[in-house]
This record gives sequence, structure tokens and C-alpha cells, in this order.
Amino acid sequence: MKKVWLVVVLVLAFGVMALATQTLTVLMPIGGGYTIQSQEVIAKSFEQSHPGVKVNMEFVGWANLWNKIITSFGANAAPDVMYIASRWIPALASMGALAPLDNYITVQKEHMYYPSVWSNLIYKGHYYGVPRAMSTKVFIYNKKLFKEAGITKVPTNWKELLEDAKKIYNPKKGIYGILMAGKKFVSTVTQFEQYLCANGGEIVNPKTGKVEIDSPQAVAALKFYKELSKYAQPGVINWTREDLIKLFEAGKGGMYIDHVHNAIKAMKAGIKIGFFPIPGGPDSNAPYSTVVVVDCMAMSSQAKNKTLAWEFMNYMSTLKEQTRWDTLQGFVPPMIKEAQEPEFQKWYWKPYIQALKYGHPQAAGIKDWVSTANAILNAIQSVLLNQATPQAALKKAAKTIAILQNQ
Amino acid sequence: MKAKKSTPYIFLLPLLIAFGLFLFYPLAKVVMDSFYKFSFLNPSHKIWVGGFNYKWLFTFKLYSPVYSYFVGALLKTLIWVGGSVGIKVFLGLGGALLLNSEFLNGKRFYRTLLIIPWSIPWAMSAMIWYWTLNGQFGIVNSLLLHLHLINEPVSFLAYPTSAFISTFVVDAWIGLPFMVIMLLSGLQTIPHHLYEAATIDGAGDFVKFTKITLPMIKPVLLTVSLLSVVWTFNSFAPIWILTRGGPVTSTTTLPIAIYNTSFRYLMFGGVGKASAMTIFQVLLVTSLSLFYIRTLKGGES
Repeated sequence: MKKVWLVVVLVLAFGVMALATQTLTVLMPIGGGYTIQSQEVIAKSFEQSHPGVKVNMEFVGWANLWNKIITSFGANAAPDVMYIASRWIPALASMGALAPLDNYITVQKEHMYYPSVWSNLIYKGHYYGVPRAMSTKVFIYNKKLFKEAGITKVPTNWKELLEDAKKIYNPKKGIYGILMAGKKFVSTVTQFEQYLCANGGEIVNPKTGKVEIDSPQAVAALKFYKELSKYAQPGVINWTREDLIKLFEAGKGGMYIDHVHNAIKAMKAGIKIGFFPIPGGPDSNAPYSTVVVVDCMAMSSQAKNKTLAWEFMNYMSTLKEQTRWDTLQGFVPPMIKEAQEPEFQKWYWKPYIQALKYGHPQAAGIKDWVSTANAILNAIQSVLLNQATPQAALKKAAKTIAILQNQ
Repeated sequence: MKAKKSTPYIFLLPLLIAFGLFLFYPLAKVVMDSFYKFSFLNPSHKIWVGGFNYKWLFTFKLYSPVYSYFVGALLKTLIWVGGSVGIKVFLGLGGALLLNSEFLNGKRFYRTLLIIPWSIPWAMSAMIWYWTLNGQFGIVNSLLLHLHLINEPVSFLAYPTSAFISTFVVDAWIGLPFMVIMLLSGLQTIPHHLYEAATIDGAGDFVKFTKITLPMIKPVLLTVSLLSVVWTFNSFAPIWILTRGGPVTSTTTLPIAIYNTSFRYLMFGGVGKASAMTIFQVLLVTSLSLFYIRTLKGGES
């Protein structure tokens, strides 16, 4: 009889242990400074403070993150928590892939962040993400090349920008006035958006939902992009923004638009750099502009244990963890208190934080970012290749985007 | 002891199960999916559309986003495959003849060297070529400039025609070792006395090549060409890494179009349309292969 009881107790003990171990699957990107080690630290410390919880971190390269999300939903094996670009929220949420976070985000949590950050994370009145990485961009310039070209002050409008690029441009020496992106990649759309927003244009009007990519402001922006490309490195179409740092580090580019972490990289490579904000275009009243990109943590609608998933998301986004992450990666702080940290008081951070004042959300009102971006990329490339005029190319893109918006 | 009638089938069973699980089931699923409209994001919400997806494939109109890009992608694929397989066969045969030649020293070294492109993962090879062809840092430009063949760097991947050619040349580079090794093995099976007899009869090198070498390696040549056509039709990584289907759509071949339709254009495309494109591609490649095999058999008889 004793033996029977022993077996029963053992079975029960194993059962309780199995029940007590809860597994959470988290999908994170790697590349562009995001390493496996830097992200596994978070999982380990969460496991330590939550006994009985096992966090399975899955990693995928940034360029494949979207596809990984799509295929995992298709296989009915979506991660519980995933890192996403906020521009994907409308498509993912409208197809029922994301769980709304309205019941989890407290007023206190909401007030930790700059209010404008949340506008990227709300879709049809519901919250679908917690901010993870925010970025603004400004021009980084090579002081030596500016001096050699006789430029004494940084450009403050598009005319000066073009003139300065022209002055620096010396292809025989392998020196280019400006470095630009044109490859079929998301960052090319963002690079063009910098000029689009600076000229008062928009892809879609977030209030009315009307497609405005073929507006006179947008046409002028693409015209200017094409004009500037004459003084950029050859074969702009084959360059992503991510690769431009290699040219800048080699001292081949006068100026280009990029993140602060690449500015730091250029400094480490021995380039004397300066910054200036992206000047407003001729059709805009704003003196400067920048596109604010927000990436976030989202919860899958397939998450088995939503409370635990939220606990992890909340843990990742405490002031301490967020500060650690942003200083490590070189991102603009999305939290108000975080901006007071000593790291963000350094001279090279100031232009990026100040740019927030002139910030435009990257994908406001856009329902299907991936397809919309592709339509814009085709327009940019066909203009750069002289296959179409800016008017014709953007009109075609507008037709495509209008269909997407009306789906 | 006499074997039972069922014995061969029992031995065949594991293979049939593997075929069923990994070939017939996925294929049947793709066929089924091609009659529905749905996205991977919401796989349970399937809408029956009958033959619409197949009709869509051929309702194309230039410069209109709602119409199919299938026909354009198909035509590009045919030229692309022709270019890549052409290079592989032509250079593969040349390389095999060279390695089989009596006058070449250090054959082992060259054979080892040849394996490198084949042994490197495709994605890695494509990445290497991405930087090799780069207009600013690429070694190809550096060589051409040193040889005074060009006056200024060329951005091979930035223009439609050069990007199209570059992508299939890279694909050919990856697939060339297989072709050389297979053809070399074919060449090594040719009895030497045939050449000796031809020499006594006064035949020159060209006659020996056309009358002995080519007919003797014909079966190998046709088989590896067929395999190469099938593999090249499905080639994805080199294009995706080098150009992502661009500039504009100049390198958007069928695999790229299917991938975009399935995973990226969730609203215009979806799994149904991508499945219809896939089925068409499978039928096309199978028909080409059957035609090829029939021609091969006809030639033999």
C-alpha cells in the first residue's frame, strides 16, 4: 500500500511541476546592433524574477522579421510576444493577428512616454504595442569635406542643400556631395519620406484617409530627390541607407541622413562630423523636419497566457530596462524621464532629441505598409532611372495605395 | 524460400510514406489553397473563389497595380533561366574538357577549387557577389579600371539590364561546379581507344569532339541540363539578396513574384494567388521536363 501512495505522490509532484513551468515564446530581431546576447539578458533576468517561467527567445534577421511573423501565424505557431515595426500594426491588427493592449496599459504607464509616441501604436482606437525603439534622423556631415569645398555654414533650406552637395561633389576623387539610398528596402522609403514630410507632404492624410502621395508637395520632393541624386554616389539604386555608413566612414560622402549610432561609428572611424536638422522644403512653413520611426513589442492574438505575455512586455519596458536598451543601441529615448539620463545630454544626442519637435509619424493612416512601401519604391526607382517623371510615377503609386486604403 | 507477393510493397512503404508526407500532401495543399482567398495572418478565414486565382494570372494590364504581374514575371524567368543554364552548360562543358585534358597539370587542385562555390551556402555566395559587384568597393570594378576597360566604376546592380544579367551570371557561378563535375564524370567514361582509332583514321580535334565526345556524353549532358533548368527555375536567394527583384521589377522572376504575393502583398496577393502561380510553375516545369525526357529517349533510339 505504501508503494502505491509513493507513486501517487510522485505523479502528483511531477504534474504540479509541469503545470508550474510556463513557457513564453518571444520573437526578436537581430542585426543592425541587435545581438542575441544583448536580448537574452532580458529573458534570463525575467526568468530569475519569475520562478517557473521559461522564456524561449527566437531570433531572426531584421529583413526577415515580417516574413517570420507571417509564416508563424500561417503555421498556427505564432510567438506570444513579438518585436514589430509600428508601421505594420494596421495590417496585422486588421487581420486579427494582434491582441489589443487596452486592458494592460495603465494611465501611469502611458504617462511615462512622450504623448506623440503612442500615436504610432494606436489602431482604430486600440493600443497594439508598447514602445521599444524610437528614432529620429538628422543630417550628419563631414566637416573636412565641407571646409575643403569652402562651405562655412550648414544649409538651412533645400536650395543651399543642393548647392552644397554640388560644391562637394568631385567624382574623379571619389568624393560625393551627398549619400543617398535607392535600393528596394524599407529605409529607402523612409529616406524619401524625410524630404516628403519636410516639404509638407504625406503618403496618406491620417485624418481623412485620402492618398496624398501625388500631391504637388510630394512631386516636388521626388523631383528634389532626383536632383540631389546627381551629386550622390553613382548607382544610388543599389544602396540601402544601412550601407551608406561604409562610404561615409571612408570619407567619401559630404553629408547624409542617418541615426545617431552611425554618427558615433563615423567618429570612431576618425571622421570629424557635425549635424544639422533636415531643412524644410519650399512648400512647407516648418523650418525643419524629421520622420519619427517607432518599433514596439506586440502581443499575439494566439498567445496562450496573455497575462504572462504582458508581464514580460511590461518588464522589458521599465524605465531601467528601456534606458539600458536605448543607451546600448543608440536610440532616441521614448520616455520622458529617460531623456534626463547623462548619456542623452552628450552633444551628439542633442540634434536628435531636438528634432522631435519637428517630428512626423512614419506611417500614419497607412493600412498596408509593406505594399504601400513597394508602390513608393517603384516610383522612386523609376524616377531615378529616368523611366518616369515624378508626376507620372507618383500618380501610379497613388492609384495603388488608394486601392490598398479602400480594401 | 519464396518471397511473398507483398514483400516489395512492404519495402516500398517507407518511401511511399515519405513521398506522401513531404511531396504529395504539400502539393495537394497548394492545389487546394489555389481555390481560396486568404492570408497567412488569418489562415482560418478562407473564402472559396473557385478558378478566380487562375483567371487572375492572365488578366494583366501594363502599369496597373490591380492586374497580375504574372505574365511579365514568367517571361523574365524564361530569359533568366535561359541565360543562366546557357552559361552553366557552355562553361561547364568547357571546364570539364579542360579538366579532362591530358595537358593540364594540377587537376586535383583545380577540382578542389571548383567545389568552393558549390560548398558555400547560396545566400552567402550571393552576399559575397553583392559586394564584389558594388560600384564603390567591388573588386570587379577595381579590376576593370586597372585593365582600362572602363573609365569610371559601373554600378552593375543599379540598372535594369546590367542587374538582370548580373543576377543570372551569379546564379550560373553558383551552379557551375555541379555541371563541370557531372560532365567530367561523363567524359571519363569514354573509352580511350575510340580517340586512338579516330586519330589513326586521321580525324582532327574538332571531328573527335563532335563525333565522339558529344554523342558519348549526350545522356549526361541532357540530364544535368534538365536538372539545371528545374533548379534555376526555382532560384530565389541570388536575386533576393542582390536586388530584391529591382530595379523597379526588372529582376522579379517567378519565385520572387510568388514570394512577394504570398508573404508581402497581403491585400493584393495572398496565399491563393501565390498558390495558383506555383501550380502554373510546377506544370510548366514538369511539361518542359517531360518534353525534354521524350526528346532524349527519341534521340537514343
